[in-house]
Amino acid sequence: MGWYDKLFEAESYTLGNGKTVSQKFTRLPLILFLFIIGIAISVWVTGFSLVTLFTNFAGFWKIFGSMFPPKLSYFMQVWRPLLMTIQMSFLGSFFGAVVALPFAILAANNVTSNRVVNLVVRFILTVVRTIPTLVSALIATYIFGLGTFAGTVAIFLFSFSFVGKQLFEYIETVDMGAYEALIATGASPARSFITTILPQILPTYLSTSLFAFEGNVRYAAILGYVGAGGIGMILNEKIGWREFQSVGMILLSIFVAVVIIETTSQKLRKHLS
Amino acid sequence: MNKKLESVLSKEPRRGLQYAVTIIILLILLLSASPALGGAQMTTKGFDIGKNILTGIFTPDTSLLFGLGDSGVMYLILQTIAIAFLGTLVGAIIAVPLSFISATNIVPKPVVLVTRFIIMAIRTIPSLVYGLMFIRVTGPGPFAGVMTLAIVSIGMISKLFIETIEDLDSGILESLDAFGSTLFQKIRYGVLPQLGPDFISILVYRFDMNLREATILGLVGAGGIGAPMIFALSAYHWHQVGAILIGLFVLVFVVEILSDKLRHKILHG
Amino acid sequence: MIKFEHVSKTYPNGVKGLQDINLEIQDGEFIGIIGMSGAGKSTFIRTINRLNNITEGSLMVDGVEISTLKGQALRQYRRKVGMIFQSYNLVPRISVIKNVMSSLVPDMPFWRVLLGLFSKEEKISALEALDRVSMLDKAFVRTDQLSGGQQQRVSLARTLTQNPSVLLADEPVAALDPVTAHEVMDDFKRINEELGQTVLINIHHVDLALEYSKRIIGIRAGKVVYDGPVSGMTQEILDVIYSKDEAE
Repeated sequence: MGWYDKLFEAESYTLGNGKTVSQKFTRLPLILFLFIIGIAISVWVTGFSLVTLFTNFAGFWKIFGSMFPPKLSYFMQVWRPLLMTIQMSFLGSFFGAVVALPFAILAANNVTSNRVVNLVVRFILTVVRTIPTLVSALIATYIFGLGTFAGTVAIFLFSFSFVGKQLFEYIETVDMGAYEALIATGASPARSFITTILPQILPTYLSTSLFAFEGNVRYAAILGYVGAGGIGMILNEKIGWREFQSVGMILLSIFVAVVIIETTSQKLRKHLS
Repeated sequence: MNKKLESVLSKEPRRGLQYAVTIIILLILLLSASPALGGAQMTTKGFDIGKNILTGIFTPDTSLLFGLGDSGVMYLILQTIAIAFLGTLVGAIIAVPLSFISATNIVPKPVVLVTRFIIMAIRTIPSLVYGLMFIRVTGPGPFAGVMTLAIVSIGMISKLFIETIEDLDSGILESLDAFGSTLFQKIRYGVLPQLGPDFISILVYRFDMNLREATILGLVGAGGIGAPMIFALSAYHWHQVGAILIGLFVLVFVVEILSDKLRHKILHG
Repeated sequence: MIKFEHVSKTYPNGVKGLQDINLEIQDGEFIGIIGMSGAGKSTFIRTINRLNNITEGSLMVDGVEISTLKGQALRQYRRKVGMIFQSYNLVPRISVIKNVMSSLVPDMPFWRVLLGLFSKEEKISALEALDRVSMLDKAFVRTDQLSGGQQQRVSLARTLTQNPSVLLADEPVAALDPVTAHEVMDDFKRINEELGQTVLINIHHVDLALEYSKRIIGIRAGKVVYDGPVSGMTQEILDVIYSKDEAE
């Protein structure tokens, strides 16, 4: 930003006693200018129009309104795919968290001193995390066929990369003193790790895994859209057939399930910390 | 053996039962969730497709990847960024007033309960459902994507805004009161400087998340890089799939690094 | 018996930690090591446990050259040499007794380490060690609820449980207030007298070193500048050890 400070001179104030204080010219105009350019380009690229929005917004409420009252009897067809969605989330989150642990250990530079191993494992975690879950679910349906297994794989990949990253960053902040003390007693690095580092990271590990699970339940609901099983399949179907009261029932069921799971998991997480 | 030691040892807390129960519950949950693993048909065809996608990533369609036309990856990336940017902005505009009427230090408790319930409900509806609803308003395309992201952002933005508002240091307001400031002056000099950096940092974070969301909106025809990827996948154009995946990876990765840096700068100077 | 012969230690960045150390330590001695911070006291103590490697010379313990020990043999050797740290180095969120028993981990079957299961004999031996440092009543308290002095005693108990023949302590009382520091030093003294273990302590408080040790080793810029009984220590020697003058 040197050029900017050269272009706009710093202002200096001289106090009564002869001392001078200089203040850099504010960056606000530059930031505002870039911001407005950003908005202009975005509006142009996306075709955003307030006029369209206000004239047609009734359409949104119309669809929304037609979901009420939700068709309660439809629940008989909803609960099975909803349960399937939760099962997918649970298994995917569980195995993702389990596999994340060794990877996090290998990625943390205070426990694994081999720099090459650190970087390779971190690269794997980053690549996996970068692919949006729906995209990995889509690809999984091509490889494993349509169904809940593809969805479980997608959730597994997300949990693995999320928990892996959070955990290795946490491991790097852990106090290594007790580990060194165990090495000094003649314990092998593996035994020292299990005895001194594991108890320190365990609460955070479990809590992060639960957090990933909470988010996954919400996310798994749309995986069915690409054929990866669960409640998203019927959601997609009912929207397509414009049976909005059934859509309302599906959304209501997801809402209740998410609230129950989030409340339980938040209680557990509070207990852990 | 020493009596004193024995008596101390007998006071050892018994955790065995607690651990056993936890493990049994976990096993039951895992077993009852196992049906989700069914339905895998890992055929040689699936294996071939996996191989093809990998080959595609290493030999991407370079004319698509570096092309500057409307269907090139560059343009799709620009469009995805634009959708995420505007979506975050519109979401923020809706979230700010919603957050103020959901903060316990500003409005009474019953109001808070109602507004928070609404926020929670907004958050639960999956983004693709909003996408389909907005397509009826705006027609298919990136505009629908902007509105979808705006709505799905409200939940998280409000939740974090509320936390920031509730952490407001009321001492500063009192000292401004002591100067005899007006309400406007109190908001301008007492509230905004405290909230500004946190709010902006939250929005940068949400922009990062919205970018990931924006990559999948194409699935319902709401613009972004997702739609061409589906077409390429279903047409088995592996080199195009590779090009788009590379674009996606670079986009998400670069934005994540930039947003981390920016947030660090905003919050820590 | 510990025997240093021409021991030197140069760090990879070229800093000389130790230079040509020659001395012998008999079983059951109580030795205080004094010197300014950065003089090489820690390096000296840590080489005996091989937490630091030496780069030259020979370091014999009970007739075995330890500077070349590797893997299992090194771990076996470390069982005999207990180490106490300035920052206690305990796991804060687990119980006191678990911290004490952690020094038994090298001898346990791996599956018990993995599950964190300890036998009754192991628990009793940990309690005995805690009793020796008057911390028996805190056995099942979470470690992070103890004061600094109490934590240092727990770490002493951890080392006692491992039943070493040599006790190394790197600034064990530097983080403690004077009263607690004396209490912990009393523990070291009692253990030295009752169990006959060799004790080597780094102390930067000269008064404490002179009060408790029988033999003093003064280190300056990686070299031993005094090695002898407490009675031979004079103000002139102290001035040499603690002089700020960098010229050698």
